[in-house]
Amino acid sequence: MSAITFAYDVRFKAQFDLSNQEFSLSGTLRPQSLDEITPSLALLRDSINRVSGVFYINVRRLAQMNNTAFHAFARVMLDASRARPDMRFIIVTSSVVGWTTEKFGRLSQVEPGIKVQEYDADFYPGQSFLEEGGFIPVLRTQTKMTWRHERNILPRHGMRSGIYMADICCGIGDFAALVQKEFKPARIVALDHSRSSLAYARRVASEFKISGIEYIYGDASEMLLEDNQFDLVTCRHSLQIFDRPALILKEMYRICKPGGRVYVTNEKISQCLGEPRGESIEWTYDELSKLFAHFKMDLELGPKSRHYLMDAGFDDVRAESFMVTNLDGDPQDFADVIQAWEDTFAGEMSQKRGDPPEFIEQFRKGFQDHILAALHPKGYAGWPIWVASGRKPL
Amino acid sequence: MSPNLTHDTTTDHDFHIMVQIDMEMGAFNSDWTHCDYIATFLARTISHNRPDSVLFANLFSSALNELLEITFRSDHVGGTFVCKISRRGNIERVELTFTCSEDERDFFKQAVARVRSSDAESDYMSSLSDAPDLSRNMLLVELAVSYNAAVSLTTLSDDTISLVVDLPLGGLTH
Repeated sequence: MSAITFAYDVRFKAQFDLSNQEFSLSGTLRPQSLDEITPSLALLRDSINRVSGVFYINVRRLAQMNNTAFHAFARVMLDASRARPDMRFIIVTSSVVGWTTEKFGRLSQVEPGIKVQEYDADFYPGQSFLEEGGFIPVLRTQTKMTWRHERNILPRHGMRSGIYMADICCGIGDFAALVQKEFKPARIVALDHSRSSLAYARRVASEFKISGIEYIYGDASEMLLEDNQFDLVTCRHSLQIFDRPALILKEMYRICKPGGRVYVTNEKISQCLGEPRGESIEWTYDELSKLFAHFKMDLELGPKSRHYLMDAGFDDVRAESFMVTNLDGDPQDFADVIQAWEDTFAGEMSQKRGDPPEFIEQFRKGFQDHILAALHPKGYAGWPIWVASGRKPL
Repeated sequence: MSPNLTHDTTTDHDFHIMVQIDMEMGAFNSDWTHCDYIATFLARTISHNRPDSVLFANLFSSALNELLEITFRSDHVGGTFVCKISRRGNIERVELTFTCSEDERDFFKQAVARVRSSDAESDYMSSLSDAPDLSRNMLLVELAVSYNAAVSLTTLSDDTISLVVDLPLGGLTH
């Protein structure tokens, strides 16, 4: 990558990447006068002069920009678009920031050669399956089943009353609500990239009179949350459905206080088990792992969590596992979860991959056998989860 | 900077005062970064019970910072600078009270009149398209266009004005 970077007083950064023909601005840009941003404006002009075709202006991580700066950068873009009608200017914004899409969007009303693209859910290949599959009741049941274990495990990984905590990829927010009731942190920020899940979380919190949880919209790989804020940052069952888990860990590391901990849970889905009919169950979960891999999700990530945490710079990494089973509570809960998995994974996902009917039939059978094992009077059905946490060095 | 922070529970017009900062105008104007610090601090302070606290804080900080920058650039005549923030439902009211010269009062009157004109949006778009630099009196227009802000001006005495801006950001979620 050929990149030129200019940083002013570490509040903002202007950067040009020639190989991607991308100029990016990030941070907070509130100059008193144009003199303060002259080098960045010059970099933008020079960058445009060095390329042809499509030129990207990336403002995804631009949290703040005052009108003095906006007007100056807009002027350069508008002038360049007028002078270079052969070029296309694409401004890449993030829906998380809240103001960039609309404000930069006005430039495309002035100059048609300038377009705005809101970078969005492409980083979450699994999100649409989970949102559109009527998955919410299942997620609630899953959390109920895992909570029986995690409520005892969490204190070994930094959970205690009075802490500042963030739950990243909070989904429908039920884990945050349980933590609030059980451990009473001083502050919980629960972040997710699904509008429908957050709407559900806020509605439940309102109906159940749960206060003190800030449900916020955000991109786990580029959060607006500031550095070194939280004593504990949790991220459950989400690294595994993200095609670049190291990016999320890097952000969790950033927002975690030095001495605080980051806690993750993930599966190794091929290890789901049951008896009777263990062979059929094993085949289906092996295939489920491959199906997720096809959509760039690693449902085998669980035991790799320790490695990921160490690579991300954490120390005092702790890892353990637990098994959710049909014996934990009502076996029907376990069966309901597996049924929902079958509906979504052997239904929509498998069809989307283009699997033949005979494969789907066998794929479904393993889920049905897992349900049978869960409900069988002498049966045993298990769903293993791996837990890991690491400390951000002081 | 050593601003006075006061909290109160009553105000006129059904607005509930949340926080107020009083500073000597000279102290406020001694450092440009006061605008950023105050905007960021106040936005965070009042954001926690909004539906999406981070989104709200980011937008409110952006709008408040512009208002503080407008004040910073005004031709003041000393005295006290007051930044008061109140809430009614989904609306945050920002009241900036400061001393200024007669020319400045006229400037603010014209700027507020421009915001209230029926073609504020096209006014702003023309400025964006053609003006080589951003004129100071377009800043309030930009707030009205970008944040649907309502702006008014009160003259409190011969040399003191109060710029009142209502920002309907409280109900926003993604």
